[in-house]
Amino acid sequence: MILLASSSQDDLYRWERGIYGLAPVSFSTDLAMLCDQLTKIKPDILLLDNDLPGLDGSEGIALLMRLSLETKFIILSHVVTDEIEWELFRIGVRGFCKIDVESGLLRAVVEAVRKGELWIRRSLSWRLLNELVTMTREQNQIRRTVSELLSNLTRREYEIATLVGNGESNKQIARRLSITERTVKAHLTEVFRKLEVADRLKLALIVKGSVSPRPTSQTEH
Amino acid sequence: MQTITVAIADTNAGRRKKLEQLLGGRPGIKVLGSVMNGSNMAAGSEPAAVHAIPIEDAVIKVNRLSPRILFIHLDPSGSESLTLIEALNRECPDTFIVVLTDESVQEERILQALANGARGYMSHEADSSYFLKAVRVVDDGEIWVPRRMLGLIMDKVCADISLWGRGSLDLAS
Repeated sequence: MILLASSSQDDLYRWERGIYGLAPVSFSTDLAMLCDQLTKIKPDILLLDNDLPGLDGSEGIALLMRLSLETKFIILSHVVTDEIEWELFRIGVRGFCKIDVESGLLRAVVEAVRKGELWIRRSLSWRLLNELVTMTREQNQIRRTVSELLSNLTRREYEIATLVGNGESNKQIARRLSITERTVKAHLTEVFRKLEVADRLKLALIVKGSVSPRPTSQTEH
Repeated sequence: MQTITVAIADTNAGRRKKLEQLLGGRPGIKVLGSVMNGSNMAAGSEPAAVHAIPIEDAVIKVNRLSPRILFIHLDPSGSESLTLIEALNRECPDTFIVVLTDESVQEERILQALANGARGYMSHEADSSYFLKAVRVVDDGEIWVPRRMLGLIMDKVCADISLWGRGSLDLAS
């Protein structure tokens, strides 16, 4: 299902012609109707007029995206600038083009996005890659910090920290390692002290490598 | 038109020669010396050692040559080429890396190469016109990545954001 949303009948008519035969089509002519249909139909693709009355720019679109996580958003806009377009890709839209896009091209856009491709101008795509590179660098940094900290643990402490990371209780850990619960607690106290954490949830997240034990700003330099 | 300098990091002499010939003598492109040695290997044979020289040496060499574009052969497995890409991206920010792949290299691995700082990728077998175009596009500061891979990058960025509990793509700031 492809949902078309615009307050302009002309736009809707042109878009429908462009994507004719690709999939069943539904229409929304205002925001309330669009929210309703997104929630109910959960279309594969949404073609959305960026100037739909009441739609509050990229923030409004981000809210719409939460109504149907599986829907791929393609935004059509009267105004095309790098800033507007990039702002939309930052919230996760899958395609962007001019509102008066030629219908053959619109068809190509929809087909590409449906296949999982991203319809973004080449002059912007480096920014997306940049996000990935920055993110990867942060994660590697965290991983390095974590492994440095974990290397301060004794083998037994490390073993217990890993089990906490797997969500096991002190009792389960005691049974598994054939030691008393009191010994587990004593080891954990030492682990908390060495890793500078206060509770087992934070410890679990650190062991899993998903959070940094310290603020990243401190670890980066 | 300003000359774009290009260097090639590939331990396989055969593949390296082929690319040197393809790019050499083209207007606006100058092929600099090679970053990897490995001429002792017969053309077409896969090198046993992943890189003929250590990563630190490769970084020094690239810094000295200072090519605008560096083609790096991406091994189908092992961490060496990824580590090399990461190190070069950090230490030689004025050199843009394009990785060269063949059908043995999985998509996820290409994604990792891009995540570590490569600005594009293409097949060793790509048409020469693509190589020339990629050199110019990457020199312009853009990236040489097809729409399909851009879709995967977006998937990964969005997945990591939800995993990390961030509300938007607002990371770098």
